[in-house]
Amino acid sequence: MGDYLTLGHGSGGRLTNDLVRRIAAEFPSFGSAQSFEDCAYLPGGFAVTLDGFTVSPRVFPGGDIGKLSVCGSVNDLAVRGVRPEWIALGLVLEEGVREEEILGYMRSAAGVCSELGIALVCGDTKVVPRGTADGLFVTTCATGRRVSERDLGMNALRPGDHIIVSRPFGRHGATIAAQRFGLDVPGLASDCAPLWEPASSLLDIAGLRCMRDCTRGGMGTVLCEWAEGARLGIEIRENDLPSDPDVLSVCDILGYDPLYLACEGCMVVAVGAAEAETVLSRLAAFPSCDGAADIGVATEGHPGIVGIRTAIGGHRVVDMPVGEILPRIC
Amino acid sequence: MRPHPSAEDILLTLRKYSHLPLKIMEVCGTHTVSAFRSGVRSVLPERFRLLSGPGCPVCVTSQGQIDSAVSLADIPDSVILTYGDMLRVPGSRGSLADARARGRDVRVVTSAMDALSIAASSPERHVVFLAAGFETTAPATAAMLSAASERHIDNLSVFCLHKRTPPAVRALLDDRDLGIDALILPGHVCVILGHEPFAFVAAACGRPCVVAGFSADSILLAVLDLAIQVSNGSAELHSVYPEAVRPEGNERALALLDTVFVPCDTTWRGLGRIPGSGFRLSPAFESFDAASRLGLSASEPPEPPGCRCGDILRGRITPPECPLFRNACTPTAPVGPCMVSSEGTCGAYFRFHEGRSVSWETI
Repeated sequence: MGDYLTLGHGSGGRLTNDLVRRIAAEFPSFGSAQSFEDCAYLPGGFAVTLDGFTVSPRVFPGGDIGKLSVCGSVNDLAVRGVRPEWIALGLVLEEGVREEEILGYMRSAAGVCSELGIALVCGDTKVVPRGTADGLFVTTCATGRRVSERDLGMNALRPGDHIIVSRPFGRHGATIAAQRFGLDVPGLASDCAPLWEPASSLLDIAGLRCMRDCTRGGMGTVLCEWAEGARLGIEIRENDLPSDPDVLSVCDILGYDPLYLACEGCMVVAVGAAEAETVLSRLAAFPSCDGAADIGVATEGHPGIVGIRTAIGGHRVVDMPVGEILPRIC
Repeated sequence: MRPHPSAEDILLTLRKYSHLPLKIMEVCGTHTVSAFRSGVRSVLPERFRLLSGPGCPVCVTSQGQIDSAVSLADIPDSVILTYGDMLRVPGSRGSLADARARGRDVRVVTSAMDALSIAASSPERHVVFLAAGFETTAPATAAMLSAASERHIDNLSVFCLHKRTPPAVRALLDDRDLGIDALILPGHVCVILGHEPFAFVAAACGRPCVVAGFSADSILLAVLDLAIQVSNGSAELHSVYPEAVRPEGNERALALLDTVFVPCDTTWRGLGRIPGSGFRLSPAFESFDAASRLGLSASEPPEPPGCRCGDILRGRITPPECPLFRNACTPTAPVGPCMVSSEGTCGAYFRFHEGRSVSWETI
């Protein structure tokens, strides 16, 4: 039973984390915990990241797999203070898919590249027999140069830092779930968007500690990884969480927790208390950060554990999701 | 409609009753999760305890039934349709997720009606819908089967795991060892059934009970109502969820249930066989029964050694008192069903770190 991978291993929570660590352990050259960040710094001031994309449906309100495949990897660079400059793109295409469909996705991808001044520098194309790929798989490798001297990884987190989220979270996950399960939620669209501009606007803030874009596993998973990685506690306030009524209604129907729903254009920022307001006022300039909010603090107490003060004044632990996020029965 | 008082007001009033030792069972898994997620458990007076009953349909599905579902997936050309959280429940030969990983065609659906379109679009396959859940999901199965019968869709069958809540609650309350003072009744089930099928809780079993909704305010209001009743020595059925539950229930859904199903005895994981607590297909719909159509033989393997899900479902122990909890039994490798579902008691205790003390700094 334990020999097979299940979809739970790919959903971004605890199972994914454990699997990634087992894979990395096969490479003796792969070192510190710091390497479990979204991108790696290379010698000479460069940085690199790689991301694979598969999504069903391939077109969804707010984007498609092409746009997603560029945003996903450039956001991994952006939150670590790296200007995305070059991208390499690999396609695994399934026999029988219409060429025009593929070209449509590539136009979306190219749109994001030209918006950010990113050059496509190389690529790879494979076609596999019908039934062996779900339409297409896209892999992107983005590289660029560091604009900030600072690390911006989770190790920089300090007790007392404020935690800021850039917009209501969970929109991508809720949009895909609504499409997949045939829920009609007009107005709900993926948050899929590049984060370079808002992220780079924060780089000169002296108290900026770390940033992370929330993808699979959602904002809750990012906070758990930070708390565990930095050996600090994190406490957030439910009343201050920016929420999106459309996301909440999907969550109500399917029994999901918005904290764990995927985002594709939402980041979490940790900053020294004195400069939390500065971060909020900078983010306010970007439409993609509408609803940014200061949601909590890092603490010395309860290292490794994230807590939330609930709307009724209670409290509870926020833990990483385990396995595939599944709709409940009733 | 009267507006609910605020959580703050309810908690203030509740303080007057904080001297009472009060054990309340919430029957529905959605109540369990809501009480954790909203922090209700953390704001109740110290002597109040919320215990979770057998109200998660995944948790009470027996191992034998999961094994049968896996066998159905192993039949060539079959397509298994299931509600999401059934996927990871371990049987004695693995779960449906394991079957899917081995290449079997197991698909997650959110509506029974999906079975109609899937069966119609794959005439060469046999589509089996795993009909799980209580009276909340059974009407949807019934509606789907009525439509399938009218449209003569014959590559479709149903593996009927539906369960009836009132007989199980009755079986629990008839257990003399059960130290439960009062019950929060399942709001969604009552939307279908109305109040009458639970009247015995107060009338015959002498336990106050309240039909509640799923918001923190509604649960707190139910707890307050129960505290007042226990303090007065009364036992009545009340409702704090009139906006959704009519005392007579949903007549259309009840009529559908009557047409498509008949009550039968069935096995609840951890609780054993309970008379009249299941649904099977009525004679008019028997041709859709997957078990007889595909020749499934029912057998009930012994439950995993050491697993105390039965005692947890009865409210006898809390998860941290089970030796397997957090050790051999975790959400990544669940032994018992209460750990596997997002609405299971053990899964909720694990996720929300209940039973571990955390000293919060700012919250």
